[in-house]
Amino acid sequence: MLLFRSEETVDQWCAAHNIPRRPLVTLEQLWQLAVHWYANRLTVESRRPAPDEMVSIFASLGLTGPFWDPKKVDS
Amino acid sequence: MAADDLDTKVKLAIYELTAKTGSIPNSSEVSRKIDLDESEVLGAFGRLYKKRLLLPEPGDPTRIRMAPPFSGVPTKFPVEANGKQYYANCVWDAYGIAAALHCDAISRASDGHIDEPLTLEVKNGQPILKSYVAHFAVAAAHWWDDLIFT
Repeated sequence: MLLFRSEETVDQWCAAHNIPRRPLVTLEQLWQLAVHWYANRLTVESRRPAPDEMVSIFASLGLTGPFWDPKKVDS
Repeated sequence: MAADDLDTKVKLAIYELTAKTGSIPNSSEVSRKIDLDESEVLGAFGRLYKKRLLLPEPGDPTRIRMAPPFSGVPTKFPVEANGKQYYANCVWDAYGIAAALHCDAISRASDGHIDEPLTLEVKNGQPILKSYVAHFAVAAAHWWDDLIFT
């Protein structure tokens, strides 16, 4: 997961590496993902979200579809 | 000690030492911190990997490559926080270090294609928003197929 100045440099990177362009995430969405994943990481109860929880977290941020479903192995 | 309790103890030791030093400890360092035989620590490393909470260094199970959001090796996502320098595994984890440590943080990262310096900053629990974007090249179902590439 890389950071880019703009969509333009994303497209240049995808073309240079022959990789299809996939979803873009804003910094606001990225921060929310970081909080969901890691805010309790240094505590006893920390764990990685389960697949269904991941789908809910992604959906709450507007990230929907097979790409964001950890159970969709053909995505 | 039950395996789950052991794993929790090892996990907490890994993160406490990482937060304190900026570097992810190896099995020997964890063993010393919690006074546990290194073989038991290595067993816990393996179980924590299966729980997708860490990634051992390929070819050397005594070392940890990733204890997300922290990286065991330098990356393009250095993060300054609490007067220390950490390394994040990716742009998500650069924010993740601020989220995990609950502190202000700055990551002097760069554009993935043109290498232009791009700074990510978290202050008072919020990101300083800019128009940058993160690109996820790998679908969620495949993130752990090759986590180093992801």
